[in-house]
Amino acid sequence: MSDQTERLAESLSALMDGEASEIEMHRILKEVGIDQDQKTSDQLSSSSASSSKPSSARAIWQRYNMVSASLAGEPVAKIDFSAAISAAIDEEGAHKVSVIGNIMSSMGRLAIAASVAMVAILGVQQLNAPDPASADVIQFAEMDIESTEQNTGPAIQFPSGFQPSIQARTVSAGGNVKTSQHLVPVVEVRKSAEQQFSEKELRAYMDDIMLKHSNNAALNSNQGMLPFARVTKSEARSDKE
Amino acid sequence: MESAYDLMARMAKASKELSYKGLFTYEYRGQLRSIKVVHLVRDGQTYERIVHMDGPEREIFRRGDNLDCLRAADMLLRGSSLKVNDTYAELEDYYEFYIRGDGRIAGRQVSLVEILPKDKLRYGYVVAIDKETGLMLQSVLLSQSGKPLERFQYVEISLATNLDNFQLSSEMAKSEDIDVNQSACLEANQEIEPVPSIWEPQWLPPGFVLSSYQPEGADGQESWMYTDGLAVFSVFIDSTEGTRNFPPLDAKLGTTVAVLTKTQYRNKLYAICVVGEIPRATAAQVANAIRPSAIGEVGSPQGQGN
Repeated sequence: MSDQTERLAESLSALMDGEASEIEMHRILKEVGIDQDQKTSDQLSSSSASSSKPSSARAIWQRYNMVSASLAGEPVAKIDFSAAISAAIDEEGAHKVSVIGNIMSSMGRLAIAASVAMVAILGVQQLNAPDPASADVIQFAEMDIESTEQNTGPAIQFPSGFQPSIQARTVSAGGNVKTSQHLVPVVEVRKSAEQQFSEKELRAYMDDIMLKHSNNAALNSNQGMLPFARVTKSEARSDKE
Repeated sequence: MESAYDLMARMAKASKELSYKGLFTYEYRGQLRSIKVVHLVRDGQTYERIVHMDGPEREIFRRGDNLDCLRAADMLLRGSSLKVNDTYAELEDYYEFYIRGDGRIAGRQVSLVEILPKDKLRYGYVVAIDKETGLMLQSVLLSQSGKPLERFQYVEISLATNLDNFQLSSEMAKSEDIDVNQSACLEANQEIEPVPSIWEPQWLPPGFVLSSYQPEGADGQESWMYTDGLAVFSVFIDSTEGTRNFPPLDAKLGTTVAVLTKTQYRNKLYAICVVGEIPRATAAQVANAIRPSAIGEVGSPQGQGN
């Protein structure tokens, strides 16, 4: 029993964080349902309110919410709407469901899903497209300790691959929305007389050593063909040949 | 039942000794590449052809790696230890291996192995190893927090029993050729010798051993490659005109990072660049630890030891 309670508490915690899986959701709903039944029968037998039982799903949920509210500095109140809501749901008549209606509604869902996918794809493409306004700007994305960690977002990569960043002159630190302390803002450096190196040369050099590294890695590691996939020849190189 | 180590050792052997051709995908941050590959063993030599199927045309032909030639990574993955500076490097000192069940990749049954680093100096992996042949059919690189960074996966693979139809000579015509350098072949339990360079790393991530060394040539560049059996990184040291003006910088391409530092030695500017699929902090630490070696100190006035 306590094992089950523990699992339930975990599921509730996940739900609080918005990370509950479908199975966990089902588990919680089932528990809350049992709670509800117990409560009504408890009330009939005029015993004390079962919501004060520490192990009930409802009690845990309320406790978590109170903790989170008090952490956030919000006023803490113990109000349980769930009984009222489920009563309201019970009162509501069942929808008449026809076969066609069924098909239509599932199609609607499909359409919604498809349009969400579309937005996602469009979003990625927009972010991927190089900004024409910054054509004369070398985009120096500041590197960080774990920048490879930020691979949840879309790729923000140069077409030819490399994003050099200058350690010596970090210019401005723009506002950074990401809260992780590892992430450092993207820094743009305008071409100026101070920069005496040629970006093209630097890029060619980087391409060259990357290729050398990957050729060597394919031979000196057990990654099979993988190193060849990591490095693609950049535009600059293919122009040259 | 086969242990994770046995599986890894079998994988190391299979990737070299089998003939196969297939199509694999490489995924990094929502970008997908597909690559066609042929790996052929003929007369004790391996020949490889790699064709990038999308983006700029790229075709690589690598010829003539000797089947008997084992390198540092082969040795480490096959369970041998390598002796470096009186200490032994062994894969299991730096990674933990877990068998994570079965799966199916490219229509074949695979065993899934999770490889987790014991420190923060390298990445982890999940690899899928073909049950029948031992070939690695999938490899996912994991960040230190366990998030996938890149994914390599076969879509289709055929074990070629009849690869004799593979037209070696005609294929070679349009490929960029890479001749294989056989110099780094190792004997079992061989000690890895220090290299005659004017530079030496004062610090290396533990477990990494030298697997190849290219002395400074006419191009003014020398390079070293290190591996711990799974991860690899290269060190390039340049004293050429072109690199002189480069600022110290960080760069990355996919999961490959590069850290370039500058150092002056005997009135000459050198660019030291560490490149590899390792955490950026590790690369930076290696780059900052490259110092003139004993050979460099007693070398010629120009600092050209070799």
